[in-house]
Amino acid sequence: MSSLSRRSLFIMLALLVNFITISQGLAALSPSDGRGGVYEDMKWKALLCCELPFAQTLDDGLSDHSPVGQCQLQNATKPEFSRNCLDILCWLEGERTNLICNAKSHRAAATASPLTVRPQLVVQMNVLSDEANHAAQCAGEDTAMCSISLHGNDATASLNISISSNGSTAVSPKMQVSTHLLRRPEPPVNLHYDVTTEGEVIFRWSDAQPNSDAINYEIRYTSNSSLQQWEVVKVKGRSWVSLNELSSGIRYMVQVRCQSHINYWSEWSQPFSLTLDVSYIPAEIFTTPGSKVTVYAVFHNRSWSASKAVWMLNGQVKIPESQYRVINDQVSAVTVTVDEPGFDTLMCCHQWGERFKCIIAYAKIYTEGMFNADLTCQSKNSEVDTMSCKWNKITWAQVRLLYRQYTSMCETIPEMEGSKEDEENMKCPSGAGDPRECTLRNLSLYSCYKIWLEVEGGHGKVRSFPVYVAPIDYVKPDPPSDLEATTLPNKTLSVSWRRPNLPVYDMQYEFRFVALRDMPNTQWKVIGPLLEPQAEVQLAESCVQFKVEVRCRRLNGSGYWSDWSMGYTSAVYNRKAPEMGPDFWRVIQEDPVRNVTNVTLIIKQPVLAGDPYSCVEGLVIEHQASGRAVWSNETTLAQFHSFQWRKEAHTVTIMSRNALGISTRNRNMTLLHQPKRRCIRSFSAVANSSCVYLSWSLLSDHPVPQSFVIEWLDLKKDPEQDVSLTERLQWVRVQSASRDLSLCRRFYGSEEFTLYPVFVDGEGESVRYTATRGDPAAYILLLIIAFLSVVLFVTLLMSQNQMRKLMWKDVPNPNKCSWAKGMDFRQIDTIENLFPHPEGLTACPLLLVSESICEVEIIEKTHPVTLEHEKDNEVPILKSGDKTATDSALLADSSEPLSLEASTAAATPDTSGQSSVTYSTILLTHQPSLLREQQESLSSSSDEGNFSANNSDISGSFPGGLWDLESHACSESTNPRHSSSYNSVEEFSETSDQDYEAPESTGVAKDLYYLEVNEEQEEEDEEEIAETQTEQENNEMKVDARPLLEGKKSTAIDSNASQSIPLYLPQFRTECINPP
Amino acid sequence: MYFPALLYPCILGMLGLVHAIPVHQDSLKNLVKPQAETIILRIKDHNKLKLSPKIFIDPELYPEVPADKPIQGLGSIVDTLTTFQKILQKLPNGNVSQISTDLFTLLGNLKDRMKSLRCTLKEPANDRSLDAFLENNATHPITLGFLALDRLKQFMQKLIINLDHLKSC
Repeated sequence: MSSLSRRSLFIMLALLVNFITISQGLAALSPSDGRGGVYEDMKWKALLCCELPFAQTLDDGLSDHSPVGQCQLQNATKPEFSRNCLDILCWLEGERTNLICNAKSHRAAATASPLTVRPQLVVQMNVLSDEANHAAQCAGEDTAMCSISLHGNDATASLNISISSNGSTAVSPKMQVSTHLLRRPEPPVNLHYDVTTEGEVIFRWSDAQPNSDAINYEIRYTSNSSLQQWEVVKVKGRSWVSLNELSSGIRYMVQVRCQSHINYWSEWSQPFSLTLDVSYIPAEIFTTPGSKVTVYAVFHNRSWSASKAVWMLNGQVKIPESQYRVINDQVSAVTVTVDEPGFDTLMCCHQWGERFKCIIAYAKIYTEGMFNADLTCQSKNSEVDTMSCKWNKITWAQVRLLYRQYTSMCETIPEMEGSKEDEENMKCPSGAGDPRECTLRNLSLYSCYKIWLEVEGGHGKVRSFPVYVAPIDYVKPDPPSDLEATTLPNKTLSVSWRRPNLPVYDMQYEFRFVALRDMPNTQWKVIGPLLEPQAEVQLAESCVQFKVEVRCRRLNGSGYWSDWSMGYTSAVYNRKAPEMGPDFWRVIQEDPVRNVTNVTLIIKQPVLAGDPYSCVEGLVIEHQASGRAVWSNETTLAQFHSFQWRKEAHTVTIMSRNALGISTRNRNMTLLHQPKRRCIRSFSAVANSSCVYLSWSLLSDHPVPQSFVIEWLDLKKDPEQDVSLTERLQWVRVQSASRDLSLCRRFYGSEEFTLYPVFVDGEGESVRYTATRGDPAAYILLLIIAFLSVVLFVTLLMSQNQMRKLMWKDVPNPNKCSWAKGMDFRQIDTIENLFPHPEGLTACPLLLVSESICEVEIIEKTHPVTLEHEKDNEVPILKSGDKTATDSALLADSSEPLSLEASTAAATPDTSGQSSVTYSTILLTHQPSLLREQQESLSSSSDEGNFSANNSDISGSFPGGLWDLESHACSESTNPRHSSSYNSVEEFSETSDQDYEAPESTGVAKDLYYLEVNEEQEEEDEEEIAETQTEQENNEMKVDARPLLEGKKSTAIDSNASQSIPLYLPQFRTECINPP
Repeated sequence: MYFPALLYPCILGMLGLVHAIPVHQDSLKNLVKPQAETIILRIKDHNKLKLSPKIFIDPELYPEVPADKPIQGLGSIVDTLTTFQKILQKLPNGNVSQISTDLFTLLGNLKDRMKSLRCTLKEPANDRSLDAFLENNATHPITLGFLALDRLKQFMQKLIINLDHLKSC
């Protein structure tokens, strides 16, 4: 009954709605182009009215045999009530995840009148999605709502609706809904700005969807401080805008929104922060090595001028201004050439006094190619194989280490590189940045790895040269373990260890050791390489403990040394306990602050006590106080041991110990506070430069001590440098039978020695003696005084000579004397010509009253002439005269080429002493070379034409001095005596006509030579010049020399020579005899 | 009879004494100072030879990076260091990551102290502008890191001589 009534009363309306989602091909639909529907308020709306054919029966659902009616989409807002109409509404739910469509019967909507009999409607909707190929179907009475998932994508949905009522069905036409029209457009993205080389700021953005239909945009911006005051700029049809009204140095917030063609405005985009300070054009540039690149910098700050721009390369190097270019007041450009592949930066700063004011931004230059990064790797073979690679830091670049693994050998990798380019590179797990190291884990030790660096942002075009690394070749193994070392009695250090298990290749080893006692100061001694994990080393001494370390590396092939192992202290092999304890002494120091007495024991190191099989490893110090209390301390081989002494009888015994026991023969010391007995009679010391001899004697009626101890302070150690007294104290123990001791060490002048007699029951009274040694400073002082005396003496001599020179330089030129005016000295042959007074010499008015006649005789040995002179035909023929010294012994003595004998003749007893003239006789051994030199000296000096003071500076104290002979001027003379103008002792020389008898046969007047004797220094200085003129001048002298005191018959006087050798008158005046 | 009457004041006095004992201020100083010195040394090493000494980045252009912030107690110290930490976290890996780790530890110590003193932890005030600043300059990590580390170093130096401010919020 009920079913029939339902069949009869209910108008079955079946709605079949099919949504077919099409994920492609979004049609650009107008708001009204919804295939009958309209897009409005982000919804799709349609009115569907259907004509249902009459049928008495209607099966549930659709029936192929049911009569089919027609449906039409209508734009009328008021549906025809005679027809069955549906309001269809579609919209998106959530973030484009679901499309929901709702179909609602008008009859259902018109339920306002309760009197109206409303038929029951059944609505069925089917939604079909092509993506998952499923349809969403839904049905209902009067209304039906279907939902289909869009998976976040835009799509075009197809909608089919079927209406069934009373067995008849009506089908709607195909309706399409574009989902992207059901929502607001996406706000623009990729907001950014560009700056032109003219300084114009272009703000740009992109649509979020590639096929966006946005046509209008709005840009708003505000400064950071005024977020509520937006400046809005409208833009139509383009996605950029010029923002030149922005100020520099202010941070702006910029947002953009777009409007679709159906007038939907998008939300505002994400804010873009913008600060204009310095912009680089381009901000990034790719180039190749050697190419020129030009970068522009725009100063948005109007107070910055392009003329003051300073370009910095990599923040360090100022680019020369010659490479700058000022485009306009705000734009500067620089052109650089980068020669090597890599990454560089350019900063354009503004001169700010001495400094450059810069901003954070910089331009980046990627120079394509491969650079050398000095990649080095070191692997570690352990539970997890790792490899650490390091490289040189690349300035400013952000780099990433990349690697690729190969199963073949590294040598074959480069050939097969091309075929494996498509393989994916692996990256350093620590990421990119500016590290200099990357550690790769879980490596295969026997694979080959290609490793290289890439500069971030370089798109793979800027990379380092790759290295091909087989980790097995770069293993740094773990250090050996289980190290054992023993110092053996045969002075051998035996060491053994265990190699690391990995890597499994053969290994070599090195071990090093150092004596434990020398640890801080001594270098390690390295032994190796060794092939076995054990070794023995010969030592200089036994019983020494060493610290030993060992390391390993690959035997054949490359690899790294391991770290040194943990240090191991060698054991000392002993067969028995030490036999005897060490010798020791004490230092007693009072501590007035704490009112205690400290005793420090100074222990001689007993490394080898007895035999090599009983080494001493430590000490046992046993104390026994007067109250029979006994205690002991065990120490290592210490040099000092301190304890407090209560000034009661205290006995200390030091024993040596090792692992097998303690020594039995030990020395002990008893400290007593009671008065000490006196047993030493005398104690003295004598010191010399290197040793101190100590001697002492004992009182006869006293017992002999067990031993003596002599102590002193080591003055080498400076007490101001915190060297304690115990470290400065030196001591030596002497046997009881000895009465003297020689200490040959370095001592410092004055040192105090203390002699302690040591008895079995304590010490006796000590005796002190201060050993002094001559102060070496006194010797040094004496040496200095002696040296200064010598210097003073030499200085006096030199000053005397200088005085002489100065005095004789003041002697006037005779040609300028008034008495000599009109006199031609060249024509004067004799003294009478010179002084033509009828009274002769006695009436010589020119002579000084006090002067006496001086006479010089030069006696030259008759000796064969030299070959040199023979060659020159200038050899004087010498004969022995009365005064010629022809002593054969003298002649034979060739070691004294020139001897001088001075005598005074014709000196009147009443000479007043104004001038004291001494006659000198010169004895010449024949020394051609010397003669030659003398001639040279003469010739060189004769150029002066004046008899300077130097000429007269010859004294008998210079036997080898600069004497000259005139004999060479008398080449044909037979006179063996050659009188020359030598000054012997006094300041000038002369030639006496009385002593000089020129042979008539020679026919050559005897010349008076002007002798200039320079200081030796001067002679040396002029020697070179003189030598060049020697021959010529000698000849001139020999020819031109003219006698002044005799030789009326002198002939062949060369006028030129006579001009060059002016006379020196005072020489003659001294020859004047005082008038009676 | 009088015993309880005497005992109570004694107990109260003892409690007052216990309350007056400072809460490990010196230990915090001893903890903060070496950390700050470590950070300074690391920054010196990191910034060494990075930029020519002639180059001067104007601090007025970048107010987002704290410069010469006053130290007025734990709160201001933590605020400033939090900003620095945020900047350092934006920088690429490298030596900066170690400094960032040190700074993180130091911040943790200071925040613990603030909790023990019941101080109020404030949110950084300039987060938005800092984010924008970091975004704008993300492409220039070298100079950004140089600037930030230089100012962090200055702040650490100031912190070392103002360790007494660790006692207050």
